[in-house]
Amino acid sequence: MKKKILVVEDEDSLRLLYEEELKAEGYEVLTAGNGREAIQQLEMGRPDLIILDIVMPVMDGMEALGRIVGKERKIPIILNTSYSRYQEDFMSWAADAYVTKSDDLTELKKKIRELLGKGKAR
Amino acid sequence: MILAGGRGERLYPLTRDRAKPAVPFGAIYRIIDFTLSNCLNSGIRRIYALTQYKSISLNRHIQLGWNILSAPLGEFIEAVPAQQRIDEHWYQGTADAIFQNIYTLQEDRPDLVLILSGDHIYKMDYRKMIAFHLERRADLTVASIRMDRRLSSEFGVIEVDENWRIVGFQEKPEEPKTIPGDPAGILASMGVYVFDTELLVRRLIEDARSDSSHDFGKDIIPMMIGKDQVFAFDFRQGDFGGTGYWRDVGTIDAYYEANMDLIAITPQLNLYDSQWPILTYQPPSPPAKTLWIEEGRVGTALNSIISNGCIISGGNVKRSILSPRVTVHSFAEVEDSILLEGVDVRRNARIKRTIVDKEVQIPPGMEIGYHLDEDAKRFTVTGSGIVVVPKGIRL
Repeated sequence: MKKKILVVEDEDSLRLLYEEELKAEGYEVLTAGNGREAIQQLEMGRPDLIILDIVMPVMDGMEALGRIVGKERKIPIILNTSYSRYQEDFMSWAADAYVTKSDDLTELKKKIRELLGKGKAR
Repeated sequence: MILAGGRGERLYPLTRDRAKPAVPFGAIYRIIDFTLSNCLNSGIRRIYALTQYKSISLNRHIQLGWNILSAPLGEFIEAVPAQQRIDEHWYQGTADAIFQNIYTLQEDRPDLVLILSGDHIYKMDYRKMIAFHLERRADLTVASIRMDRRLSSEFGVIEVDENWRIVGFQEKPEEPKTIPGDPAGILASMGVYVFDTELLVRRLIEDARSDSSHDFGKDIIPMMIGKDQVFAFDFRQGDFGGTGYWRDVGTIDAYYEANMDLIAITPQLNLYDSQWPILTYQPPSPPAKTLWIEEGRVGTALNSIISNGCIISGGNVKRSILSPRVTVHSFAEVEDSILLEGVDVRRNARIKRTIVDKEVQIPPGMEIGYHLDEDAKRFTVTGSGIVVVPKGIRL
């Protein structure tokens, strides 16, 4: 069965890029435009991994991260942001990986494979 | 960070309308005053009290009584209600309570976090424990006290090596590890922890992301033993006054006994020591007074604690603790009892071994504590025969 990835990103073009690239990798992709939508998505079904932007309207990624961790303890989460300073934030330590945004998705894809592989081994 | 959300179910009905830390104690105090006073007397002035259930009276007490620090100097005592910022549920365990308040740690970024329980009566200089923590370069230090091994099922039991490094931890065991060379004693956790902040956060997150009861005693400490530097601190090194007094007033009987401890000639817990003052909030009341000296009608109070605003008007009070504004009318008798604020004992009423909650009026001639079978029909009566008359009851 295809692995399901939830992409949480407020910028439409970027969200579309992630969706296409990840589908091409063979993943099923769900999307949300902010933290609140992500949590609503979670209520409808459980993804295998979440890619979470931090700076978003309505509910930012850091708050969403806390709420997701409190609800769905085992889903791997990758924080994906243009800023590295959020790594100072205690809550960011709850994420499984921290990937700085870039046009080249190689690093992100590598982390996804790592984390999903780890899940399988469990 | 003071964990002040305890429901105190075994203190019911005293906890019917208030959280355990807000339960009145020692005539004019609330249970949490002892922990808060320990903080202030230890020079700790950045304090969060984490509340949840029935926190109105606790919040009010902290606002009114503990609004004494200097905000411009960065000092504060703040009651933080469960904000459900991370999770819509109440705190699941003691560790979850801190995890859900990671934001406050984020803002303050302290080097160390002292985690306390708002449920205990004792005097402790936390500076001694912090010095020990730093000296041992510990990641976590747990305060510990010797207890009789027969009480092991009520405590987290600590096993240490000769350097006080914690090598084992059992939560409420029936078969505890006893203290080496002292088979009748166990080393009990007091629920007082000093943590290196960054490590605390990492371990809380690890715990939050695993199947766990999210409790310091059950989950966090066992997880850290063998992995991190975890030490026990001997309470005797930090006990102010040196009497070894520490009580978890978890049950009505324990609550009653701990109150009664205060009317001993030389109590182990000395409230009169100006070196370690216990602070509280008291609305202004006039001084206590006694009335009537005539044949058969003398207002007396013997071996008792009498608060401001009390009037002993021709009644007799023995071995009892009276909170502010209690009135005892003519020919009434109060013995071995605890009367909370505003209780009114009318003429000829007789009360013995009874706790009467706030503002209750005992009608003329009524007897409580003399016929326990009768009392049990309308009040709580404990195994050792203490009667509790709840708040708001009309007699």
